[in-house]
Amino acid sequence: MIMDKIKSLVWADYFIYALADPRELYRLISSRKPVGIYVSFAVPAIVVIADILALSLLGEATGFFFYKITYGWILILIYTIVKIAVYASLIDTVSQFMGYEGRAGEVIAMVSYSMFPKVFILPLVYFFSIINFAPGFFYVFFIFLLFVWYVMILVQGISEMHSIEFSRALALYIIPGLLAGFAFFFMFVLIVISGAGMLFG
Amino acid sequence: MEKQRKVMIAILTMLVLIAVIAVIDVSLRIDKTAGPEIKLKMPQFGPGIAIVRVDGPIEMTGPSGFSGVPKGAESVIKRLDELGKNSDIRGIVLRINSPGGTVAATQEIYEKLWKLRKKNIILTASMGDVAASGGYYIASACNHIVANYGTVTGSIGVIAYSPNLKKLFDKLGIGMNVIKSGKYKDILASHRDLAPEERKLLQEMIDSSYDKFIKDIARGRNMNESEIIPVADGRIMNGETALRHGLIDQTGTFEDAILKAKELAGLKEDAPVYDEILSPFDSVLGILGNYFSGGSLSFDKLLRPGKAVEYRYQQ
Repeated sequence: MIMDKIKSLVWADYFIYALADPRELYRLISSRKPVGIYVSFAVPAIVVIADILALSLLGEATGFFFYKITYGWILILIYTIVKIAVYASLIDTVSQFMGYEGRAGEVIAMVSYSMFPKVFILPLVYFFSIINFAPGFFYVFFIFLLFVWYVMILVQGISEMHSIEFSRALALYIIPGLLAGFAFFFMFVLIVISGAGMLFG
Repeated sequence: MEKQRKVMIAILTMLVLIAVIAVIDVSLRIDKTAGPEIKLKMPQFGPGIAIVRVDGPIEMTGPSGFSGVPKGAESVIKRLDELGKNSDIRGIVLRINSPGGTVAATQEIYEKLWKLRKKNIILTASMGDVAASGGYYIASACNHIVANYGTVTGSIGVIAYSPNLKKLFDKLGIGMNVIKSGKYKDILASHRDLAPEERKLLQEMIDSSYDKFIKDIARGRNMNESEIIPVADGRIMNGETALRHGLIDQTGTFEDAILKAKELAGLKEDAPVYDEILSPFDSVLGILGNYFSGGSLSFDKLLRPGKAVEYRYQQ
């Protein structure tokens, strides 16, 4: 049964739509629940490997690479999945505050699939590493471009999910970031004040 | 749609291929640029040389650290035992970085090495920063000893010590209640002076351990005891001086010791070297353990007589 599904290549549709049509991607996730959500966890696993390899190609080659690609991959994957879950939950919470329906599972899947273009960081950086033409600069440059692509996929997916216009979906994506940023800034200020009080009080 | 799926599979396959090439590329770069310690280790088979490391003070059961991996003489003996049973191991390089330790633990390692030597396994000692007292003792069981020019070695002798805090106790008005079954039960107690008969008793024990030390060095080095005694007064020496006195066979590095072991075992220069395998978790936890355990000196430690009699170089 599972082998037949793998052979039928229908799972490839998620990746095709992640790159080509994010709105269709959301419709696919919604119609093929929960398979679409399960398959989505393959994306961070691939993206983390690509990112570790890209950074390893840029840096000095040391024996630590073997730890990064094995234990490091597991640790970063766990961190990435937690990050996806937390951010998706925040997006979903903000959506519910704004009066939309809560769809946490689908948001998690959308955030995961949106990361898919980030796998291209490996071939892109590898190319500039081989020709030895400012690979560090191009790593940062492509990371920025791929981040924009990631945001575009996610926002279109959210827009399709709640049947709202692009600008409102963008707000749903940005508000959790702002809230998280404000919370961290507030915590930082409190820690600095507490630390200063302990040292000089 | 079918065509698009096939294109996507092709893209994913290309990405996997690029990832595999990148892994090989980085691995090869590591192999080219890294030193021998972190070179890419390929699976090794066949007759070769094993490395056994003796680091730090020699005690029967060393601290096991956070990871629970036992250290100390028992773990060294266990590894030597395993290597002795392995038909592929033709020689052992004993990498020593130790100021010595307790008499019993040192003698146990020495005897285990001696048994392996009797089984015609070539033993080569390689001395690091320090291989003094008990560190030298175990090295003397080897067929060949290599020390760096600047290795601190020698310190042939036995020591027992305990702090005498009687005056401090008197000053503070502290007294100890001691209930004992025999008059020597609290020998080396730090709250009182050492009685002359206690000193005599300990001196006899130390002399006996010293005689055993000299005999074992003479046995291991194929020397007469009379050749060793003149330098066996506890003095430390560097590699060059030790060579002059016949305590070692050559000055050289760890790598030289490995090459010598291969030569003595009749192996080719590229024969496999089987080093101790420590998992990354053990490495990290070991570092953390060393960091947190520190070298604190507590009052409790000061009061305890410790290991009493040791083959140890006191810095």
